[in-house]
Amino acid sequence: MSNPISRRKFIGNISALGLASTLPFMSTFSFASDLSSPSNIVNVGIIGVGSRGKVLLLNIQKIQGIKIIAVCDNYDTNYKRAISLTRNTAKAYTDHRKLLENKDLDAVIIATPLHEHAHITIDALNSGLHVFCEKSMAKTAEDCNAMVSAALRNNKILQIGHQRLFDPMYHKAIEMIQNKQLGSLTQIRAFWHRNRDWRKPVPSPELERKINWRLYEEYSLGLMTELASHHLQVANWVYGAAPISVAGFGSINYWKDGRELFDNVNLVYKYPNGNHLVYDSLISNKHYGMEVQVMGDKGTLEMEKGNYFLEHPPAAPGILQLVNDIEKGIFETVPIGGASWVPETANKVKPTKYHQTQKGLPEPTELQFHSFANHIRENKIDEENLKHGYNSSICAIMGHKAMLENKVIEIPDNLRM
Amino acid sequence: MKDIVLKGKNLKRELIIYLFCFVITTGMNIYSIVSYDTKWPELWLSLPIVFLLSIVIYALSGLFRFIYFLLKKAGVHLNILPLKK
Ligand SMILES: NC(=O)c1ccc[n+]([C@@H]2O[C@H](COP(=O)([O-])OP(=O)(O)OC[C@H]3O[C@@H](n4cnc5c(N)ncnc54)[C@H](O)[C@@H]3O)[C@@H](O)[C@H]2O)c1
Repeated sequence: MSNPISRRKFIGNISALGLASTLPFMSTFSFASDLSSPSNIVNVGIIGVGSRGKVLLLNIQKIQGIKIIAVCDNYDTNYKRAISLTRNTAKAYTDHRKLLENKDLDAVIIATPLHEHAHITIDALNSGLHVFCEKSMAKTAEDCNAMVSAALRNNKILQIGHQRLFDPMYHKAIEMIQNKQLGSLTQIRAFWHRNRDWRKPVPSPELERKINWRLYEEYSLGLMTELASHHLQVANWVYGAAPISVAGFGSINYWKDGRELFDNVNLVYKYPNGNHLVYDSLISNKHYGMEVQVMGDKGTLEMEKGNYFLEHPPAAPGILQLVNDIEKGIFETVPIGGASWVPETANKVKPTKYHQTQKGLPEPTELQFHSFANHIRENKIDEENLKHGYNSSICAIMGHKAMLENKVIEIPDNLRM
Repeated sequence: MKDIVLKGKNLKRELIIYLFCFVITTGMNIYSIVSYDTKWPELWLSLPIVFLLSIVIYALSGLFRFIYFLLKKAGVHLNILPLKK
């Protein structure tokens, strides 16, 4: 097994970071069990080994205690690649139902396109298996509900792939917010900008919809389920609640190439205490990249970069202020009869980096599988994670609905976990 | 090139000038603490800045004295500052 991290060091890192304090489900990193014992090995199958499935497979291969014994893909190129990535050690399938008949499996990992999440998840849960399903949970609220019901009915774990929940930098930010280092929260502004058509090369025209499923209504909700769902999950985490209503606009204003789903979206989500999340995403300009800006009356966080800004940083020493004023008096020209209005340009305060990446700690994408396997070993349902997966998916679905219907959508109580 | 030799008398004069610069900057520090309503511990916490500033002022005074010296050499007589013979 190619695991470069010693177990003891890993546990040390987890507790040193205090990850368990901000989220209850991180406490399962106790590693009480002996991972070399066969009874503690979690046997998994991966369904859908495309771009994300490949990343997940490579991450899981680093983990002692999880064994990939089956892979499944219904696209020949990826099917063959999955076999070679597992060096022929996993049984390969083209139909997920056949894979689910494998009696040695404990769990499955689903990384298929969005429209396939719900039915494969439900089939797996009904077969008595635990499920890790990539975000977003599903394409409709009905499917999300059916997935949660199936997990609860079968008493099996259903974890949704929101890796930020396992990112120490995000945990640190949540801790700072809970410690009131930002004062009272006033707004979250999040955005995800790219500048490319979001297409993958298609070897022959009949594969267009299979490969570029993100662009078509039948399979996805585009920017909302594929990108926004991550930031919606973070916003819900920060506010400690799910939104009550949403309004927004979406359109195809740039990539008019036959796609059906919006290439730019602008939305406002309203939370129970009157706070808002202002969100936008586009794929025709990448200047601002992506960010989650959490604003409070005392400070601001940029959660993707790990920056912390104080609203009122401590004043410079008096002598420096004096020198600065003398300098201004000498060199600055005073306009006579100039504008009485001065633009409120952005604060030039330098950020504090609130988190240092710890060497030797696995990436969040890998960490989420340590947690998944531990929950399976302890047979413990991960309600907190499920809640995040469900709520963020509902947010994405309702946001898309608001844009399609051009109206404010109230999110009913029964669609909030 | 000739070496610049600082005689005892000159050294004492330069020290006094520097000391004067240091006193001025310390005065500026006290003034700024009062007028910008900052904290009194800045009196010693800002000493490195005060020290730096005093060197800048000393260097400036050196520059002015050098200009004065050049003017004197060129035989220009200033009425406001009568030159010593
Ligand atoms: N968490 C993240 O950061 C992250 C990042 C990227 C993608 N994702 C998610 O991962 C999922 C997959 O995305 P992707 O980019 O890998 O897509 P992809 O198109 O590259 O891969 C999907 C794979 O699933 C296979 N597939 C489709 N239907 C199948 C079925 N019924 N049975 C077996 N295999 C099937 C396809 O042949 C393909 O190989 C999506 O839900 C996406 O939102 C998550």
